[in-house]
Amino acid sequence: MTAPLVFEEVPLAKAPRASVAALPGADLTLAGRFSLTVRPHETVAVTGDELSGVDFLGGLALGLEEPAGGRVLTLGEQVTLLSRSAQLAFRRRVGYLPAGEGLLQNLTLRDNIRLPLRFGSDFRQKDIEGRVDVIVAQLRLTRVADLRPAEANAEDRRRAALGRALAFDPELVIAEDPFEGMTERTSAELLEAARGGETAEGGRRTVLVTGPGLPGLLRTRVDRAVRVVRGVVEEGR
Amino acid sequence: MIGFLAAIGRWTARGLASIGALARFAFDALASVGTLPGAGRRVAVRVLLNQLRFTALEAVGLIVLLSGVLSYLTISSTVAQLDQVGASELIGQLMVVVIVRELGPLLTALAIVGRSGTAITAELATNTVMGEVRALKGMGIDPYHYLVLPRLIGCVVSVAVLMIVFDVVAVAGGYLAAATIGGMSAARYMGIVVSNLTTQDVVLTVLKGFLFGAVVGVIPAYEGLSVRRGPTEIPQAVIRGTVGSITAIFIFAALIVGATRA
Repeated sequence: MTAPLVFEEVPLAKAPRASVAALPGADLTLAGRFSLTVRPHETVAVTGDELSGVDFLGGLALGLEEPAGGRVLTLGEQVTLLSRSAQLAFRRRVGYLPAGEGLLQNLTLRDNIRLPLRFGSDFRQKDIEGRVDVIVAQLRLTRVADLRPAEANAEDRRRAALGRALAFDPELVIAEDPFEGMTERTSAELLEAARGGETAEGGRRTVLVTGPGLPGLLRTRVDRAVRVVRGVVEEGR
Repeated sequence: MIGFLAAIGRWTARGLASIGALARFAFDALASVGTLPGAGRRVAVRVLLNQLRFTALEAVGLIVLLSGVLSYLTISSTVAQLDQVGASELIGQLMVVVIVRELGPLLTALAIVGRSGTAITAELATNTVMGEVRALKGMGIDPYHYLVLPRLIGCVVSVAVLMIVFDVVAVAGGYLAAATIGGMSAARYMGIVVSNLTTQDVVLTVLKGFLFGAVVGVIPAYEGLSVRRGPTEIPQAVIRGTVGSITAIFIFAALIVGATRA
């Protein structure tokens, strides 16, 4: 089975090239280049401070940024080699929760979740509404779904942003700093929603989480936790 | 001396690079029509209708006021003098050449730059700073489709329609002035105006509507999406968008006058 996400020898932009090294036993290797394979159904957290370059991983995986070297394979594709319209169509196969949520401020939380489905699918209106209702209920947004982001609290905004990322029920979810400012309980809830339930192989979806740290409660809930500190990459447990 | 020439060279190169980037942006925006997905078309049309409401419908009052006052002032201050020298027929030329063909398009476009161009730059710059543009790309929505194209088409249609409103109100306002001050009859006034109106005037006016509308749609959007550093850059982007649009409108107006007189 193809690994949903592969970083091969990619220099992380903010990390000084020579200082990136791997610890023994990790599949993160060598000589200033970042390599990581996220296997199907796996939940991997890659954490590091702002100089580590981990905040570039989401953009690299989605082809929003061009890697300075190496290659990035997302669902088996090098996204940056696709045409502009093919890139856009491809990204609908991946759930993306950007840092800071990126919710459209002039839309309600429900409309934010609805937008990718209305823009990028040929589903009937009734089916879209059904799917949005399920996501809203699943992420416990029913009470606040008709508020705009500025009227909602940080937790509800984060839930809505995750709901938007899950709109197409993607097989791969990439979440940038999804737990920032959240309680451990909410973080665990968000992670479970991103995983989409359990299968015999692991989570129903493959999940990559990036950010400065991982709440304590979640350390036991991810399959691998990888830390990048001051350009030095290490694999956790 | 060499330093001075080098500075001129750098300034010129920067200017040309900016114009090139702007042209590329405008081309990409137009080309994106061809890649708009079927489902996205319905969403984009809804954004377009919103844009038409903000840019055209809600600006009608302002345009009627500007046009009415301008035409009344222009005609009232000239009709008495023209009558004294027996040249009241020139009122038609004045109305058609000065107001309908030149000032109408120019003032309409400037009013829309001030009203909607600034709003477009501020909104898109905020979208960029808040990470909304990146999020759109990340979920497979082209910002050209969702943000730029509806605003561009909305501005082109709005400026063209508002220009017609401006000209109609200007002609009516001119009559009001000619009738109350110069005692001119409606039939004579309309006869003079219509006899001075050529097909070329109508074509040029419509052409300017589309061209100026495109300027108001493209430059503010380009400046809004060019913001990189953060919220403090938003006012600067609004200034660049407004000044750039006004400058482009005046340059195009001068070029059109030059081309039609050549």
